[in-house]
Amino acid sequence: MKFGTILKNENFKSDYYEIVFYHPEIAAAARAGQFVHVQIDEISSRMLRRPFSIHDTDIEKGTVTVVYKVVGDGTKRLSGKKVGECCDLLSALGNSYSDVAPDEYPIIIDGGYGAAATYILAKNSPVKGSFLFGARGERDVILTEKYQALNWDVKIATNDGSVGHQGLVTDLIAKVIEENPGKKFKFFACGPHPMLIALTKILMQQNLDGEISLDHVMCCGIGACFACVVKVNADNEQKWRYARSCSEGPVFNVKEVYIGD
Amino acid sequence: MADLTVKLGNLILKNPVMTASGTFGYGMEYHNFFDISRLGAVVVKGIRMEVSDGNPTPRVAEVTGGMINAIGLQGPGVDKFLHDEHYMPFLRKVGATTIVNIWGKSLEEYGEVAAAMDSESDGISALEINISCPNVKEGGAAFGTDIKLAQSVVAMVRKNTKLPIITKLSPNVTNIGDFACAAVDAGSDMVSLINTLGAMAIDIETRRPKIANVCGGLSGACVKPVAIKMVYDVAKRVKVPIIGMGGIMNAADAIEFLIAGASAIAVGTANFINPMATIEIIDGINEYLDRHNIKSVSEIINSVRL
Repeated sequence: MKFGTILKNENFKSDYYEIVFYHPEIAAAARAGQFVHVQIDEISSRMLRRPFSIHDTDIEKGTVTVVYKVVGDGTKRLSGKKVGECCDLLSALGNSYSDVAPDEYPIIIDGGYGAAATYILAKNSPVKGSFLFGARGERDVILTEKYQALNWDVKIATNDGSVGHQGLVTDLIAKVIEENPGKKFKFFACGPHPMLIALTKILMQQNLDGEISLDHVMCCGIGACFACVVKVNADNEQKWRYARSCSEGPVFNVKEVYIGD
Repeated sequence: MADLTVKLGNLILKNPVMTASGTFGYGMEYHNFFDISRLGAVVVKGIRMEVSDGNPTPRVAEVTGGMINAIGLQGPGVDKFLHDEHYMPFLRKVGATTIVNIWGKSLEEYGEVAAAMDSESDGISALEINISCPNVKEGGAAFGTDIKLAQSVVAMVRKNTKLPIITKLSPNVTNIGDFACAAVDAGSDMVSLINTLGAMAIDIETRRPKIANVCGGLSGACVKPVAIKMVYDVAKRVKVPIIGMGGIMNAADAIEFLIAGASAIAVGTANFINPMATIEIIDGINEYLDRHNIKSVSEIINSVRL
């Protein structure tokens, strides 16, 4: 089945939307961190596909939920789609986050709509962990209530201080570690590139384990075009190589991520 | 069911639908969607002697009716391509008709790559010489836009292989027909066209180019009319088979190229949007021929009515 029927497409805050597709195959197959590649324009020659993290699935109802922010032509057009319309969906693509082990304390660190990508992980986790969320300001604080509803410890940082701690989301890490002595921490993250690289450096310095969802402007979504590459460590002279975030990622262990320049 | 077989000199393809180099990886990704041995040919992403990193990101930008890319020919190098299970051994195993796109940073390197392919040519049906990638500073465009250099590259490859040679031509020249003739004179068995058109896009908020390489190559539906004319022009100049490409999104586009003078066609950007594009195009060509009661696809090649 190629097409997903839109069951819901609603603006829930500022420029943020939640869209629900009926697509039982993807709902059954999707794992935390994977993405769906959506053909938004029905005339394929007019627009490339757009990749979106899978926010949530319901296997019984056969639904796949995506949370998106209107940022350009593609998302603008997607926001105009009506219930009952269909989109050609390619999924579930990319690799996924590891499952949380019962002896681990999971700490999710997300920036902006990165919060959409880690929800399934939190939902399926056998352990309630901490959810650290960063955004520019109040209008970009989204989905935190859903993590609260899962009984996760939610901490928020905003650049302008309008909600929670004023500063960077990575500032919150020390406190969580302090509050949970003796635990085996495992970090999971999704957000803007600079945030993820900063987090990777912190985790590497403190010898902490983590997985981040790293990507770049994507095209085919299946590993053929080499558009969406990111730098990963490699056993060569320059110490890095370009890896395709769509097929070798988007989830990388922090040990794999090249932070040299 | 019409006869879709096409004859490109000594190279016989089961149908005229190929993939454009750089848009189909090395075949494996698309084999998850369909049996890639059904294609006329798989043209793999460009290979040179060494591992090639490619360009910094962002590497692509969408534009109206198409896209600009500057991937920069990221690739595994000859040795890995010929021996790693993800590349040539895979294509051999699944029985794909394989055409290897080759490039180099020097004239000598083109010769070396051709010789390496020639020495392990089991499963390789032809070599396509990339003298026209606009996105790498050395090799690529430099060879494709200077007629004497283009000719010496073709001659160098010819000297180093017995495999059929396809020369992929750049549209970024004053007269593509002259380059087609030069390639044929130097020993090219056929020509393919067009590679991407030099292009640029700027983010007006930041005033920065939308791709890191500053400029790139334009592809997609928007380039098709340009490509059709170039195929039509080249068909009047050379007798060798032409592989036409540039903005083919569906069977109708593919048929237009065949009528304009191409003996086979390659699908590029469409693969990114619809992984099944090539297969749907094969079916669509067959349907068209049946509908017009045409027994063989060869009957429509170079058949434009003036």
